[in-house]
Amino acid sequence: MTEKSGTALSRRQLLTMIGVSAGATAMYQAMHSLGFAAESKFQGPIRLSAAPAGASVLVLGAGIAGLVAAYELRNAGYKVQVLEYNARAGGRNWTLRGGDRYTELGGETQECRFDPGLYINPGPWRLPYHHRGMLSYCKRLGVALEPFVQINYNAYLHGPKAFGGKPQRLRAVQADYDGHVAELLAKATRNHALDADVTAEDQAILLSSLRSSGALDSDYRFVKGPDSSERRGFERDPGGGLSARPAFSEPIALSDLLRSGLWATLSFGALYDMQTTMFQPVGGMGQVGQAFARELAPLIRYNAKVVDIHQDERGVSATFEDTGAGSGRQTARADWCVCTIPLSILGQVPMNVGAPMARAIAAVPYCTGLKVGLQFKRRFWEEDEQIYGGITYTDLPIGQISYPSSRFFADGKGVLLGAYIWDMRNSMDFTSMTPAERVSKAVEYGSQIHPQYTKEFDNGIAVAWHRVPSAMGCFGLWSDEARAEHYDNLCAFDGRIVLAGEHASYMPAWQEGAVTSALDAIDRLHQRAHAAGAAA
Amino acid sequence: MNGKKQAAAAVLSSGIALASIVLSGLLLKGEARADSADNFDSEAFSMKDGRQVYEHICRGCHMANAGGAVGAGRFPALTKNPALGSTQYMALTILMGKRNMPAFGAKYAVGFGGPPVTLSEAQIAAVINYVRTNFGNHYRDPITAAQVGALDRSAR
Repeated sequence: MTEKSGTALSRRQLLTMIGVSAGATAMYQAMHSLGFAAESKFQGPIRLSAAPAGASVLVLGAGIAGLVAAYELRNAGYKVQVLEYNARAGGRNWTLRGGDRYTELGGETQECRFDPGLYINPGPWRLPYHHRGMLSYCKRLGVALEPFVQINYNAYLHGPKAFGGKPQRLRAVQADYDGHVAELLAKATRNHALDADVTAEDQAILLSSLRSSGALDSDYRFVKGPDSSERRGFERDPGGGLSARPAFSEPIALSDLLRSGLWATLSFGALYDMQTTMFQPVGGMGQVGQAFARELAPLIRYNAKVVDIHQDERGVSATFEDTGAGSGRQTARADWCVCTIPLSILGQVPMNVGAPMARAIAAVPYCTGLKVGLQFKRRFWEEDEQIYGGITYTDLPIGQISYPSSRFFADGKGVLLGAYIWDMRNSMDFTSMTPAERVSKAVEYGSQIHPQYTKEFDNGIAVAWHRVPSAMGCFGLWSDEARAEHYDNLCAFDGRIVLAGEHASYMPAWQEGAVTSALDAIDRLHQRAHAAGAAA
Repeated sequence: MNGKKQAAAAVLSSGIALASIVLSGLLLKGEARADSADNFDSEAFSMKDGRQVYEHICRGCHMANAGGAVGAGRFPALTKNPALGSTQYMALTILMGKRNMPAFGAKYAVGFGGPPVTLSEAQIAAVINYVRTNFGNHYRDPITAAQVGALDRSAR
């Protein structure tokens, strides 16, 4: 993808215009189609040869990138030390469960009051089947995976102005959109509007395919009847005995459907990053960080706030403060440094690197993502609405409601993801609220989709990523211009320091970006260490 | 950058009235905002008052009392901060962003999954003047929207 000058629009300009004219989902989709979501470069477990004798590496940050780097370098025989700001490993790989306390920047502490076994992942929460690096580490570390339901045809699409605010089942919107479009295309074909483009022989095949893809009847119409109801669902489902006869449902009229705007999120589940099968760790995404932590326990120093990074010709020193003990400054030193501190923070840490890397670190603001977890007294979405996992998308500021992909049919309470906001305007707004306000707003908006909210709401917890002390942002928000100018400089070694993390990848926000960037970085580190060893 | 600028301008000028959504019956802890409205139902950030701009955007990082915060890094306080002495510095920082702080000028702002959040010259002037006369700040030299616009045109 090259930027063109003159009258041609840049990708970013184009995307912005798509966002303005067609909405956030269309833009998100366009971002994917333009390659923002690249396939993982993971080529199977890395196999480093033995480390040079006595070689050491300092890893800054015990998020996924730091943990992967530490794990592989230790296995190769490097002497590894990890410094981590939090009192736990994982970084943004994190699960909040009942009893957890979380204090955000500004000082407000929330206590998670979920019932045993219930949780929310404030950060990453799903693993596409092609994120082979993450899946590989889960397998190697014994982290059990289960399906993550991304696409649920019985979940809703909702807009406050669409159909009087009445949520529509994805099943019906999808069937009606496909059906109407197929009918129009069939009509155009039969009216010879496509004669210039499609041969007569192919037109016959096209018509057959449209009947199949759009659930058209024998006259190529998308109308109320058995064909359409088999896709969109029935007014009364077929059964047995005397009450067996089904009643067909009435499709939404084309114009109503188009004007509702609900088609905008239809293709989400078809995105490469969202296609089935997706996975989640049993018991929460944080299981991955915890599994790495068990493996690397003696190497990780927690509560270590890095305040200075200094390299010289022989190695790298990191000065840190112990935030737990409140004791004075200490220094860790090694031959090499893999620094995975988010750029939102690294930009403020003195570090003697050259101008190219320093400018790259300063060039990336962070997205303002935000999630709200809500516990309800019962799993009404399953009991009342037969929604088992999956996601309801809405134009309301909460963005989406996601239903748990585990413990189906369980008695007792249940936890929903009540808001996942990555639209910048709404997420900045929600970040500016108190945690209690965010929760109450999520309940208020969600009750427009599920009226049961009002009666069944129990408690909630809200995590705004700019308020997370260890991250101070959700993920690196690269512009095309910044990436063209700075990305290679960000990833290149500067002396004895190399950076890794999702910010050093083409997979923003995805853990797979952290994994693949860490593997790329340590591969280069290993080569340099051997070259230096040979020269010594 | 014309296409992007026009698109952003189209958003700003769409002028859909802000719907005021009232919180009902839920007790709030901490420092609630002056208004219970949110941005919903407007195509862009349309609030014009300096206090509203602060409370719906800036406050997320700079905090309710403008005291900033310290974690692994820090969000600067907007009190007793010598940088506030220069309205031009503040305007350019808001227009162009600085490190983790996103740009809010239409020429520089980056969005994700939707249009970026942009502020007009008038909104930027309003929030600068609000911050510089609140939170214990007592500056007496306000900046105008026209001055913000001139800075925007002179940058880069």
